[in-house]
Amino acid sequence: MTQLTSDVDKHTALYVEAFNSGDADAVNAMYTEEAVAVWEPGVALTGKARIDSVKEFLAAGPKMTAVVRQSFVTGDTALLIVDWKIDTTDADGKPEHLTGVGVDVLRLGTDGHWRYAIDDPYGEK
Amino acid sequence: MAITVDIDFDNPDLTDDTDLQNEIFLQVFNSGDGELFDKLYRADAISNFSGEPLTGAARLKFFKEFLASKPSLQATVTHSYVAGDVALIGVQYTIDGIQADGAPLHLEGTCTDVLRRVEDGRWLMAVDRPVAGSLLPE
Repeated sequence: MTQLTSDVDKHTALYVEAFNSGDADAVNAMYTEEAVAVWEPGVALTGKARIDSVKEFLAAGPKMTAVVRQSFVTGDTALLIVDWKIDTTDADGKPEHLTGVGVDVLRLGTDGHWRYAIDDPYGEK
Repeated sequence: MAITVDIDFDNPDLTDDTDLQNEIFLQVFNSGDGELFDKLYRADAISNFSGEPLTGAARLKFFKEFLASKPSLQATVTHSYVAGDVALIGVQYTIDGIQADGAPLHLEGTCTDVLRRVEDGRWLMAVDRPVAGSLLPE
């Protein structure tokens, strides 16, 4: 499943689809090679640690909804402000509801597809 | 305020150093030179300083007008993430100045900045987005 798009307005919805399908490879394909993710506030993950973190998180079968609140799109770089919610289960199997306002930086690749360069889901305090 | 940082006025570079980026940004802002300040932005960059997303000539016009009264900006970096040729920086800022009617101007908030390393290796602003108030009075 490929979820990459040349239309930045469709990127978030495609990401939610990939995320909710539980397909870690599809989710990870939506990040640049050098991407930084800050899924835990203050802890920036990159490379293999970031990729593995997606696999681990999706193993619990989380479901996400996300609404783009603001988008600022330049030629090859975009900033999206996104309201998101995730329902998942914690390590003890108890339901867990996560929510935040994400600050996403996207880059347009030379292949014409947008990818996350920086994913800071708790970016707006 | 005089600019003491090392800067090429024709081709300014915010550099890859977060603290130096902030220092250059502050000094150029506080110099009151809107034209030079605008050169810290890529041609297609979007600035939300006015409260609306501005680019190109509209952005330059706003910077020239807003900086003409030499408002004083102070900012400290709260976080910084760099992913190859793009960076996300968070700052807390305060601005003090005088409004057109002579009343004091005081603004504060947080700002999210996206910087890009461009083709010639320089780092420039791609997007700025102040929150909790624009840089203009309500």
